[in-house]
Amino acid sequence: MKKIDVGQLKKISGADNVSDNIADLYVYGADASVHQALPNVIVRPKTISEVQKIMRYANKNKIPVIPRGAGSGTSGHTVPIDGGIILDMKRMNHILEIVPEDMLVRVEPGVVDDDLNRALKPFGLFYPPAPASSRIATIGGEIAANASGVRSVKYGATRDYVLGMKVVLANGKLVKLGSNTRVHSSGYQLERLIVGSEGTLGVVVEATMGIRPLPKFRCLGVANFNKLEDAGNAISEIISSGCELSMLELMDKIGIIAVNKAMDLKLPEVAAIIMFEADGNVKEAVDFEIEKMKKICEKHGGTDIKMSYDVAERTRLFSGRKKLFASLSKYKEGIICTDLADDMGVPNSKIAEAAAKIHEIAEKNNVIMAVYGHCGSGVIHTKIMLDPKKKSQWKDAEHVIDELYDYIHSVGGVTSAEHGIGLSKAPAWKKARGDIIPMMRSIKKALDPNNILNPHKIMDAPDDWIRATNLRYKVGK
Amino acid sequence: MGLLGKIFYIKKQGNNFKRSKKWEGELNKCIRCGYCYELCPLFKSNNWESDTPRGKLLLIYGMITGEIQPTKEIVDKIFQCFYCKNCSDNCSAGVPVTDILTDARADLIEQGFEIEGTIVKINEDLCSVCGVCVPLCKYEALSIESDGKNKEKIVVDKVECRGCGLCVSACPSGAISQKEGCEVTLPELHQKVEEIIKQHGKKLVVFACNWSMFPGMQLSESPTLIKTSYGIIVSMCSGRVAPELILKAFDGGAWGVMVAGCPPEECDHDGNYKTRRRLVLLKNVLNELNINPKRIKLEWFSTGESAKLQNEINDFVKEIEKMGPINKMVVSKKVGG
Repeated sequence: MKKIDVGQLKKISGADNVSDNIADLYVYGADASVHQALPNVIVRPKTISEVQKIMRYANKNKIPVIPRGAGSGTSGHTVPIDGGIILDMKRMNHILEIVPEDMLVRVEPGVVDDDLNRALKPFGLFYPPAPASSRIATIGGEIAANASGVRSVKYGATRDYVLGMKVVLANGKLVKLGSNTRVHSSGYQLERLIVGSEGTLGVVVEATMGIRPLPKFRCLGVANFNKLEDAGNAISEIISSGCELSMLELMDKIGIIAVNKAMDLKLPEVAAIIMFEADGNVKEAVDFEIEKMKKICEKHGGTDIKMSYDVAERTRLFSGRKKLFASLSKYKEGIICTDLADDMGVPNSKIAEAAAKIHEIAEKNNVIMAVYGHCGSGVIHTKIMLDPKKKSQWKDAEHVIDELYDYIHSVGGVTSAEHGIGLSKAPAWKKARGDIIPMMRSIKKALDPNNILNPHKIMDAPDDWIRATNLRYKVGK
Repeated sequence: MGLLGKIFYIKKQGNNFKRSKKWEGELNKCIRCGYCYELCPLFKSNNWESDTPRGKLLLIYGMITGEIQPTKEIVDKIFQCFYCKNCSDNCSAGVPVTDILTDARADLIEQGFEIEGTIVKINEDLCSVCGVCVPLCKYEALSIESDGKNKEKIVVDKVECRGCGLCVSACPSGAISQKEGCEVTLPELHQKVEEIIKQHGKKLVVFACNWSMFPGMQLSESPTLIKTSYGIIVSMCSGRVAPELILKAFDGGAWGVMVAGCPPEECDHDGNYKTRRRLVLLKNVLNELNINPKRIKLEWFSTGESAKLQNEINDFVKEIEKMGPINKMVVSKKVGG
């Protein structure tokens, strides 16, 4: 890589928006994953034209460019494994247009998900994907990871809302993909190709996204289970019985203990809690769905079932689940939560079995793993909880990852359901999907022949995730 | 580096950060989710990730583990914080962000770094050592010390200073200042008042306290496309809203000004009492200027009362719309006469 001409970048985006001091480099070299690496420079563009100029410069000089939203990725997507330029997109944060009559919004990539929803609310509209990190996650980052969230069982993932986008390619050329219409059958669906590409194919500089009307009624139910298996079976039956649900969440005992410790919620420390929700514009219809789910929970041993339409009460009931990820470090002194093996997807019928298997593999390998997630969509979130200072625990984590993903893939599951592959999930994913890697590499080469856009991620990531970069933790011997 | 060198290096690191080192376990607990971004007034103003609580914890972790060495830029980031504690109060991993920061600051001061950040500075040429600022500071960060030649001066404890800036707005000589760039200095607040009225054409200027008004901050930062007739400025404490800022708003064409502070007994700095006293005096001045004192409204809001804030703003907008704009001709006549 050639030495980066910081002065040139300052000319493009202004001196205040370019930094190569160590305070910024060190911070921008990390995300929510276990990885850390140093970039050479941070640039914060404000306009499409600036992004084009930066890409032209980087392409000419073969300098890696890593587009970055909030840096809330869990697998090292934005960790600059080869150094280069971090393109912080958060200054491009304007909502350009809200068009209720066409049910779409046009936004810049740095718009924060919650900000978009706050702006849509007065129109009676919302943007549904909403990952748990919606308070900081940017639309650009959500597109890069094909993010989804608690209501994906009804509303789907980011890919279901992308209508069109403007993308700056590696050579600086601006292309307009997709359309302004809900459907199109006019050539390759290239806008969908960008979804989930983790910044490896282009820089999203504008997105046209579909939106939905806010439902008038939302009812949340909570049921406790004394066996994790019973909760898993209730989830499978709720899905297969054709319930029209808007959310179906699971929390296991480890998660419950952690949020009780972190937030003093006083939740009953049972084997599992299921949270189920229905929404709609006709209260009787919502009642009908909720009652149906309640009965299924009761049939499978669900007890102490609470239900509420009230926003404050729903928020209270759901608060533990919302902050579960961050609370896990409170589970046990000396043990912390690492973002590893964090978002498998499994077929609905396998949820109970997968939950039991996760606990079995964790116990066998001396680590702790919580099981929770948007089980209505088959998403199982886990985290590996370990003592980061012990080298042996990282070996344990490697074993867990190998065994767990072998199992997940053997039952027809996916490596990542909504967080993406990045670095830490790449070895397991490559093992399972070697069949599509040549095709993905061909696409990458066609769009980015100099391999400058977020290089060495997904299919090109190192085979050893633990040594792919420095670990963010100081590991002893 | 040889083995002996390594041992020396590690020992040196440990000694340099003896206070911060004990937090390594807590720093490991930070899962770097970044949820603290949303709550940080510095990030809202600067938008650099290195200004966020997560960013600062990363830098401290890097320094205590010896991965990075402290530099002027890093030290400056560590000393930029207003201790609103929105981050530590809301961290689900329970990381005591500001406690860690305080120890890191003490370690860095001990290492002899030049400190600026959000810490207040005293201009000794302007300071008359009247001592007004000393009892004002709840953190006992200001004291009068003798320089040994029968000359006294005001000294700032750079570890204890929280950067709330109450002393800045209270100093009669204008001798206390803070670095610009974090949207809290008087010139910056003046500029924001002007932007809200002149550029955005707002009728109502709302000063919201960062400590209680984190929701207010959200309202002010939402990039909504709906045109509102009010603009929100998040100041660090209602006690920092100097009367001249309010007068500037009226002079610039605002129809009303609302100051949103913490309820009595809830302000960490007792700034709300100071504001209440100031506004009583200011209302008398407004009477003299023939401006209806009802154009100023002081309201208390606890953390999380964003709905109440929104309702109060909406009601006040209706009130000032009934009053209409301020008739400047009458004002100048009266003052002149």
